[in-house]
Amino acid sequence: MKIKSATLRTFTTLHTWVGLVAGFALFVAFYAGAITVFHHELQVWQSPHAAGRPQQSLADAQRLLDETLQRHPQARKHVGMLFPGGESPHSVIYWQDEKGTWLYATLDDLRGSEKPPQAALSELVNALHFSLGIPVAGTYLMGIVSLLYGVALFSGLVIHLPKLVQDLFALRPGRNLKRFWQDAHNVIGVLSLPMHIMFAVTGALLCLFFVTMIALNPLVYRGQLMAALPAALDTAPTVAAANVAEPAGKLAMWHTRSVQAALQKGQLAFEPAYLKLANAGDRNAVVEVTGQSPGALGPLGAVAMNANTGEVLATQLPGTRDANHATIASAYALHFGEYGNAWVKALYFLMGLGGAFLFYSGNLLWVESRRKRRQQEQGRAQVNLARATVGVCIGLCVAVSAAFVAAQLFEWLAQRRDIDVATGIGWVCFVGWGLCALWAAQRAPVRGAQDLLWAAAVVTLLVPVAHGLATGWWLWRSAAAGQWGLFCIDAGAVALAIGFVALARATARRARLGEPNSVWSERSP
Amino acid sequence: MMWSRALAGVIPGFFLSAALMGLVCWSLPGPWQATLVPGILGFFPAWMIVIGASLFFATGVRAWVWLSASAIAATGALWALQALQWIS
Repeated sequence: MKIKSATLRTFTTLHTWVGLVAGFALFVAFYAGAITVFHHELQVWQSPHAAGRPQQSLADAQRLLDETLQRHPQARKHVGMLFPGGESPHSVIYWQDEKGTWLYATLDDLRGSEKPPQAALSELVNALHFSLGIPVAGTYLMGIVSLLYGVALFSGLVIHLPKLVQDLFALRPGRNLKRFWQDAHNVIGVLSLPMHIMFAVTGALLCLFFVTMIALNPLVYRGQLMAALPAALDTAPTVAAANVAEPAGKLAMWHTRSVQAALQKGQLAFEPAYLKLANAGDRNAVVEVTGQSPGALGPLGAVAMNANTGEVLATQLPGTRDANHATIASAYALHFGEYGNAWVKALYFLMGLGGAFLFYSGNLLWVESRRKRRQQEQGRAQVNLARATVGVCIGLCVAVSAAFVAAQLFEWLAQRRDIDVATGIGWVCFVGWGLCALWAAQRAPVRGAQDLLWAAAVVTLLVPVAHGLATGWWLWRSAAAGQWGLFCIDAGAVALAIGFVALARATARRARLGEPNSVWSERSP
Repeated sequence: MMWSRALAGVIPGFFLSAALMGLVCWSLPGPWQATLVPGILGFFPAWMIVIGASLFFATGVRAWVWLSASAIAATGALWALQALQWIS
């Protein structure tokens, strides 16, 4: 394909600007997203006693359901709960009160609270991932960032297309550093392109699904979209209460019946994960059991039943479900790496860090390609972008690790006095991040980068130490007890800390020995 | 000048992508409800590509004219076919 050089130049400008604007947000999304892959493991890691406690039984979960329905009439309309199982050994039940606020209860706390138990850390990392931690507007912002991300991918592909094949495996180290960074950026970008396209599209879908539907409803769907939604997204039919009392079935019956129904549809290993129950105690009570079917790209499928009799009303299971359910299940699983086994999650973690590196390298490339080669004084824009990159990106690494340490500290304190763990963790994270950005803003970029990388290394190394001190689950004890989720988080922190040390040393070496005319140099000419 | 072209991809491009997605989803066999989620999923890459590809136009004015005209034509075709119940 032949493209005019003027057109290529505009594509380069677009790629640069879209990349710079979206790059900061995408770095945060990828770094926090890589950690969010271990959402469930983080909850066990945060709660002081979760690892040692035996898994709850269906009878325990039944007690939780019965107590909740009796205490909270609002939950009878609509209630959801987790089956106790591998991913969540302890059942949690949740419903909306009169004002529409979600409440969460467990057997330890039947009154219900607005915060899910022991999920503060995983919720914070997840919020950083999908909204930068900004309430409400942050989700839409990240949706727009996802769109910009897609445009950046398209324009990057067009720019690189004429030389894509020749240059694919060309990584040219040597005197021309800009060429080296450009090669690295290109090869990582091309090889991970399928992953990036997938994240750009599913990210936009997850953030903008409802606003896009509102916009497309009159344009494409003749105003009938909202009426068609329940059938497209849920499995159970929407049924109004009959206002005739009828005793409800039991959890164990729903569990058995859903596994049987899945078996009839060819799913040999359906494992119920959570349920949604509507009109509890009424004649028209409906339950929808969602579970995992291993071996499917979208492993989550659902069986809807009459909650009283166990009669199967509808199913949406891998292999036999409709296009709407297959798409949403696959998009969700692809985005969160929830298909396949633990290796898929490990791969997603590494790809997430690799993605974060791509955006970081893009910023470095911008600075490098505008370097003034013949003078030590660099342009104000270059210095400021270098400072911002250091403060925001490396500062985030420090802040996330600080939140991990704070989670252990505050959980330990919470067992002794009444404190709000979630708020505390949030403050440590965002104040820490702000301080790092301020520190970077005050220093020469090369100094700021080294300071923050060392800070990141130290704080990240404190993560397994804090966990060990607060709960007694040191690395070796987790490994010996087969608590691989705990072990992987602590070992991952140690590995990241080593990585930060390596980066700090590389930056110091660059500052001492590299070309003097650069924001990354400390040499006087 | 670049931003004028890119903006053409964002605004008329939005309506063009929506109408093209609608034409595909409504023309497929079966009721339109059956392709609801795949359609909305597919709309996003379509829009991203239209925004990016708008830079292939030589000037901002051309981008706005062509993309607006295509958007109107595609939306018109979609609405006409829907009203005639040739697609459903």
